[in-house]
Amino acid sequence: MKALYIKAQEDTPEVILDKDKKIFEISERSLPENAISFYEPIINWLQEYKNSPLDETIFKFKLEYFNTASAKQIAKILLELQEIAKVSKVKILWYYHKDDTDMLTSGLRFSKLLNIPFEFIEI
Amino acid sequence: MYLDFVKSLFFLMHEHNLGYIYKGIFTPEVTDTVLYLTEHKLEKQEESIKLKKRVYNILVESLQNVIRHQAKDHKRNPFHDSLFLIQKIENRYVITTGNIIKTENVSKLQSLLDKINELSKEELKEFYLKILSEGEFSEKGGAGLGLLDIARKSGNKLLYKFVPFSQNYSYFYLCIIPILEDSSHCSDYKNDFKFVELIHSILNKEDISIINNGPFNQENLLIFLNSLEGQMIGNVGYKKKVYYIVIEMIQNIIKHGFIPENYDQSAVPGIFLLGQINNKYRILTGNFIENKDLYTLKEKIDKVNNMNSDQLNNYFNDFLFDFANENYKKAGLGLIDIRIKSQHKIDYDILPINENYSFLTLQSLVNID
Repeated sequence: MKALYIKAQEDTPEVILDKDKKIFEISERSLPENAISFYEPIINWLQEYKNSPLDETIFKFKLEYFNTASAKQIAKILLELQEIAKVSKVKILWYYHKDDTDMLTSGLRFSKLLNIPFEFIEI
Repeated sequence: MYLDFVKSLFFLMHEHNLGYIYKGIFTPEVTDTVLYLTEHKLEKQEESIKLKKRVYNILVESLQNVIRHQAKDHKRNPFHDSLFLIQKIENRYVITTGNIIKTENVSKLQSLLDKINELSKEELKEFYLKILSEGEFSEKGGAGLGLLDIARKSGNKLLYKFVPFSQNYSYFYLCIIPILEDSSHCSDYKNDFKFVELIHSILNKEDISIINNGPFNQENLLIFLNSLEGQMIGNVGYKKKVYYIVIEMIQNIIKHGFIPENYDQSAVPGIFLLGQINNKYRILTGNFIENKDLYTLKEKIDKVNNMNSDQLNNYFNDFLFDFANENYKKAGLGLIDIRIKSQHKIDYDILPINENYSFLTLQSLVNID
């Protein structure tokens, strides 16, 4: 499966979705004006990946900031991962800066609402 | 109606083409920020390189001048804060700085300014070299030299005003209008500092330290966000909180603000203010809104204001996973998020402009510690 690499811009995150290398990661800032169009290829990639996932998918969220429009797209990604978790092992690693309780709260919110294991990592 | 000062500032700043105001203690970080913001503005407007360089040099010099002479209070006193404003009038940048000065020093400074203003370009240069070699006027690390240098670089007279405000202190406003040597005549711009004083008094009363007078689009938002870093106090956690709220509030303007016919249609007119009130940050925005949208907005704000934290979280979650009729302009989460993160009610004020639209002010508070 072809990997998806998106370089970070000032308002959009770096994205690495690479099945061969077993790297699934979104990092840096996400505050685009149009979050739907930015996240569309990512959702599409995951929908394809869903058909033949690895035995274990460890998905890292290392975001510094995200806006509410991105929150909704992250919810979409997590829903896809929840689907994948039905047929294989999925774990979310949610990174947050130790002073950024809002980032931790956002992660806790998702972990409560979804049925996938989350691990919270302070940086 | 206590937020109506935002609308007054918005129109005052528009009338005088004022883009940015900073009021506070000036530090090298603040200087960097102001330079960064101005550089972006200059770049975008494609000024001649010569004028750009000149404006930039004068900015550096005048901001350093403020740092040298500003009040060095141990406890913050908003009335002693220094001031910086930049406006554009008929293709010229008008830079205004302000700082307090001991009233006993006013007459000395005034005669220096008057002397500088009388001198020709050549005489200025001579005077500059003379002071440089003799080392007078330098009790504060080059008082006279700084002003002389600004005068030389600006190619223009220095406009100034002293306003006494307490027994021992006066406020010193300095206005610099850089011109190019090949400009046919000196500026005929008159500045009685009346509107500067008016704006200054509102900033003091409301304890506002940063104003960005839009217009807003995503690009300007990013530039502005980068500039906020050096200008805030408090720990990293609270700064981040303010960031989150600033992003949502300005993106709210970008997505929902109304652009009246007589405004530039390429970005959304609006104003952003950051200040303090009772040991809290106050984050304010003002923008136009169509009257037909008012009811829904009021309803939503009142709703989130009256919810407890469990209700707010449930309400947020409902929107978070609602993908029906997805529209990039309406995530629906912004106001709920602001309310949750700030842990304070969202204050609002709606002032009618005409039958089609109104001016909306929102205020969000964040505890500083």
